[in-house]
Order: sequence, then structure tokens, then C-alpha cells
Amino acid sequence: MKNFSSQTKREFLKRMAATISAGMVMGLPKMTLAAGETIKIGFLAPLTGPVAAWGKPGLDGCQIWAERINAAGGIQINGESHPVEFIGYDNEYDPAKARAGASKLVIEDGVKFVMMLGGDTWPGAQPVADRTGMLFSTLLPSDLGPDTSTLIAPAEVHPIYNVTGVQWLAENHPDLKSAVICAQDDALGIPSVATYLAAFEAAGIANEDPILFDAATTDFAPIVSRMISLNTDIICLDTCYTEFVHPLVEQLFQQGYEGTVISCTADFYQQMIEKTSAEFMEGFIFQFPDFDDPALEQDFINFEDPGGFFAEYNNRHPGEWGAVSWEYASIMDLWKWAAEKANSIEPGDVLTSMLESGMGEHAFGTADWWGKDLFGIDQALVGNWPVVVVNDGKARIQEYKWIPGWYEEHGEILKKYFTEYNIMWDQR
Amino acid sequence: MSKPKLLILFSFLLLAVILIVLPHGLSYSQREILVFLTINILVVSSYRLLTLTGEWSLGHIVMMGVGAYGSALYTKELGVPVPISMVLGALTAGIIAWGLSFPLFRMKGFYFLIGSFAAGEIIRLLWKRFRDPFGGPKGIKRIDPFPDIDLGFVRIDFFDPVNYYYFALIIVVLCLVILWRIEKSMIGLTFHAVHWQDKLAESTGVNVRAYRTLALVISATFAGLAGTLLAHYIGTVNPNVFDIEQMVFVLTWAIVGGTTTIYGPIIGCIILTALNEIVLREMGLEQGRPLVYGLILIASVLFMPKGLEDVVKKVIDWIKLHVLTGRIKNV
Repeated sequence: MKNFSSQTKREFLKRMAATISAGMVMGLPKMTLAAGETIKIGFLAPLTGPVAAWGKPGLDGCQIWAERINAAGGIQINGESHPVEFIGYDNEYDPAKARAGASKLVIEDGVKFVMMLGGDTWPGAQPVADRTGMLFSTLLPSDLGPDTSTLIAPAEVHPIYNVTGVQWLAENHPDLKSAVICAQDDALGIPSVATYLAAFEAAGIANEDPILFDAATTDFAPIVSRMISLNTDIICLDTCYTEFVHPLVEQLFQQGYEGTVISCTADFYQQMIEKTSAEFMEGFIFQFPDFDDPALEQDFINFEDPGGFFAEYNNRHPGEWGAVSWEYASIMDLWKWAAEKANSIEPGDVLTSMLESGMGEHAFGTADWWGKDLFGIDQALVGNWPVVVVNDGKARIQEYKWIPGWYEEHGEILKKYFTEYNIMWDQR
Repeated sequence: MSKPKLLILFSFLLLAVILIVLPHGLSYSQREILVFLTINILVVSSYRLLTLTGEWSLGHIVMMGVGAYGSALYTKELGVPVPISMVLGALTAGIIAWGLSFPLFRMKGFYFLIGSFAAGEIIRLLWKRFRDPFGGPKGIKRIDPFPDIDLGFVRIDFFDPVNYYYFALIIVVLCLVILWRIEKSMIGLTFHAVHWQDKLAESTGVNVRAYRTLALVISATFAGLAGTLLAHYIGTVNPNVFDIEQMVFVLTWAIVGGTTTIYGPIIGCIILTALNEIVLREMGLEQGRPLVYGLILIASVLFMPKGLEDVVKKVIDWIKLHVLTGRIKNV
């Protein structure tokens, strides 16, 4: 238990005020930011357990981001510099712990923004967001709905960006005409299945019935055997968890699959190469680049020194670079930009600042606040997304694709599959 | 009043005062954890009732889920008021357990353990497979909270963890009293007989299977009630909340605490939850918690094989010997 006597009077009063206001359901009071005062940001994601691969690397990336920002003078609010600090809470991908964590971060630690992975954990944190008006972010825009006014999806619009990989594949390999998708049957896998089905149909690629498996599956050999037996040109690994992608790829290698593999993620792909071979992994398509990629050195990229960030990350956490290593940091870039524009760190002011022009500075270029059609609210930042392919044992961006362009042309197909899987915002 | 009775009365009064004052000495998030801890005490205590008959189940946490899903659906789909839906949710868990007892009690011991796991997984897979009405893998969201109580001069908002803690505490204490009364009744004695001398009990006319079924149904009903308390607090349920990993926690609380007394599993639940959710987090071991937690578990099993309840028993024996008999003066 915390030693209350060790707190300063100011901290105690702030905490009491926040607690009382939360208890009375009045929302959080606006606090004046003292000169040089540290800005606290909450990080509420799984840091342990099976989904930790989409939490912990993000916190590691944020620590590097904070050090870089603080070394450069911090965040400028009303002409004064403020250092930034991240406070992590391991929600273990459990909604009850997400609620406890959200309460701790918002009411006790006084954070001004909370970043989450989302998914199963968002419903637990949502009542805290509703009551306090705190700004939250998610990596999974399927959490968005007309009633989630303080939730944004500013880094990745999972799983919509998966259409870019299929689009690229169809343009560059027009000979591939059939595909089968496998996925864990859960909140992460199903929306991605609907998206890949739409993307394949839009690209004129025939879909076999998706193979869904339980998230408790440990033996992937039968799943892979079944997929190979369908004799399709493409095997799609959907948005499987990292701990599923690796054994699936190993099984594909061991069972002699020679076709094309596409996946949403390929976290720690170097380990996959070690377990299989560089030849087998050649041409493996996914959506998350290494940040030493020359294609990230272009003018429209809104991520400061991606190569330096990647090098520092690998220096501190060798072999742990994954899909989310940069994403939470890129959300912070957007938050910093909006806070400095608003000259305020209050959640409502920052949100208004972010949304007011209808566009935002996404890591892969200026993007649109979008989503009303699919999510019931325009709070997902959608624009360019890279298509990444493993060549000679190294993942490299092949091309950026404009997601709103695809949606304009094929949105109805996507809506058809979203409806089929009951994941449209008005079906949830 | 005799000295032992006075001491017992004083102990209960002291415990009541501690339980009432406790949330006010905690931070906001620790109060949230206190709510979950209170609910979990009901889960592990109800689990113990089943273990009295000698059977250990791996499906108990799923029964908690049946209560949670049931109550959520009665509220959302049928518009049943939350307090009534909580009772119905608990009863649903009991009825499902009764249904499962027919195949499960064709097995005993290890086979029952595996059978209960399979039965639980079937229920979890049904929740996942049937999006209507169970919501599929994403489960059910926006479950109605327990309604606020407006007394005119004061409004009790159950979003506040302190208020919900008091509400859950009343329910859990009532349930513990009922469980204790069952254990001390003839039914409870028969549960023990079924555990230790099932053939002998059968030869005296005890319907062993009926008593095992009764224990399963009662434990599932209380677990279901715990599930309803959880569902209407966090506002969401999904199949992963009731998976085998959570069941392992329940088993751990029971094993580390001990199951020969009613307070054994409760002590295990309190100590391990406080350790995992408060002490290790406050020590800044956010990511190292599973490692430290595991090491402590191994150490406790090695050095306290009879569970934490054994330590409490020794303290009680010491008090009986030295305080109540007045021998403290001679020590």
C-alpha cells in the first residue's frame, strides 16, 4: 500500500480532487500545468501474457520516444518546455484489470492521455473514459462506435490496411487466383478475416471458406495440412497472434508449402527465417516495416529519424522489433503536435485540436479522420499504408497504398463482409 | 459470557470494522482490486464446497461465466431488472451444473477433473461460436450496471468502487454464512463422508451421486452469483475471462490457502491477489510479476505444504493454549 505521508501536500490535494470528482461523476478538473512540470502519459496494455507482443514493445518504443523528445526540449505548451513521462500498467488483456488500470492512471497518476491496445480490454476501460472525459487511443478501431467520443484510433486502422497487401499482390502477381485464410476465432481475427475476404474478392481472387481455430490451439499441423490440401495459390495468415504466426509458418515450411504467404504481421520475422530458411521466407508479404527502411526517408513521412529510432530500439531490445514498436510512439507524435497546437494538454482541447481540420499527421503521411461508415464515428486516422515483403532475408517496403482510395472503390464489398460477420458498428 | 466466546465476538467485531474501514485506506485503483478480490473470495469459497466431496473441477470458472452471461442476457435481451437477473444468472449456473452432473459423475477423481475441463471448454466454445446471443469471441458489452439507489438525501452510485465493494461484501458475507451452515449441517457431514468413505457411506444408504450432484450445483450457483457481480460491475464479459488460465488462479488460491477450513482458500485468495496486484505492482515489478509470483508459489508449496491455513491454525492453537487458559503469564 502506498505511504500517504510520503506524498507532497500538492500531490495529495490533486489526488483527492480527482478522486472526489470521479466519485461524483463530474469528469476531471482542469489542472494548471506548472512551469517545467512533467506531462504524464498512460500506457495501458498487456505487458505480460500471450498478447504482450502487442503491448510491451510499444512501451519500450515510447521510452525511447520520451528520451528523444525530452533531450530536444520536451513538449512546448504556452512557451514553456515540459518533459514527458510514461506510466505503464499491465492489463494482461483482461477487461477487469483494464478498468483498475484506467482508474489508477487517470485518477491517481494524473495522466493526460491513455494509450491502449484495445480489443477485449476497451469495454473495461470505457466507463472510466466516459465518466472522466479522458482521451484514450486504441490500435483496434473496431472499438470505435458513435458513443466512444473520447476514443481515437490514430496509428493503425486494423484491419482495414490489410487490403493494401492484397491489392499489391494482385497488381504484381496477377497469376495468383485463389486464397485460403486461417485465423484464431476471436475479436482480433474475425474483423481481419472479413477484411481479407473483401480484399481478395475486390482483387478478383477466389476465396475458400476461412479456417477458424480456437485461440487455445497449440498444434497447428492439422490446420496447415487442411490449408495446403485446398491447393490455393495464396495462404493468408490473417491477424494471427505472434505466437501463432511462428508455428504456422514453421508448419508451412515443414509440410513443403511452396506458394505465396500473406499475413498482417510477421513480428520477429528474423526468428522465422532462422526456423525455416531465407529461401522459404522470400516473398513473404506483411504490413509492418523495419524502420531502417530507405522508403521511410521520404518527405511525407511524419516520424522523426526512423532509422535512428530503429537502431536505438534494436540496441536496447535486440530481436524484439515488432508491429507495435513504433506505433504508440507515432501516436505520441500526433498527440504532441495537437497539444502544442492547442497550447494545452487537457484531453478535450487536444482532441479538438487533432480533429478540427479533418486531417492528421500520420506516421506514413497526412491522413484523413475517417470511419463513420464502418465504425459510426470519424475518429480513425486513415491514409497511406506500406506493403512489406521479405527479400533476401530482410523486410522492405515495396509500395505505399492509399487506403481511402481502395475503400472508395470497394467499400461496399467490405461492408458486405463486415455485415456477414456481425461486426458493423450498428450490429455490435 | 465465557472468555472464548468473548474473544470470538471481539474478533468478528474487529473483522467487521476492518472490512468497513478498509476501502477508505486504499487508493482508487486498489479499491477496484478490492471489489474483484471480494468477488473472487466467493468463487474460491464456493469451489471449496465441491472439494469437500473429494472432487476437483476445472470447470468452476466457466460456471462463474454461465452466471455472468446469463445475467447479462436476461438484462439485455429480456429487459429483466438487474437485481432479478443476477439471481436468475446464478440459478442458471446451478441448472447447467445439474445438467452436466449426469455425464460428469459417471467419472471420479482424475477422470472427473479432465471431464469437467472438457465440459467447461464446450460451454466456452458455444459462447464463441454462437454470436447470437453470446456475442462470439468479443462477448457481450455494455451490460447494464447495478442501478443507482436514490434515497433522497443520498444517491448511491455503484460505479464507485467503494459503494460496489459494500454491495458485493454484503452478498459475499451472506453466501459465506450459507456455505458455512451447509458445511456444518448433516449435508456437509455427508459431503465429508462421500469424500473419505464413499463405499461405507453408500453401504449405509447414502446416495453418493446425489450428494456429489448437490455439491456441484450449490458451488456452481454461488460461482454464478460471483459472475453476475463481476458482469454488472465491469460491464462486459467474453469467453477469455473464464478460460483455463483463470481457473488455474482459483486452484492456486485453494492450494496455497488450504482447503480443510473455510478460511483457507480465502486467505490464499487475499494474500496472492494482494501480492500480485498491489505489492508487486507498487514495487515497480510490473513486467516481472509472473516470475516473482511463480517463485513465491513454488516456495509456499515447498515450505507450507499444508497451506496458509496451517499457519492460522497454529496461531489459533497458540492463543487457545496461552491466552484462553491463562498460561501466557508463564511463558
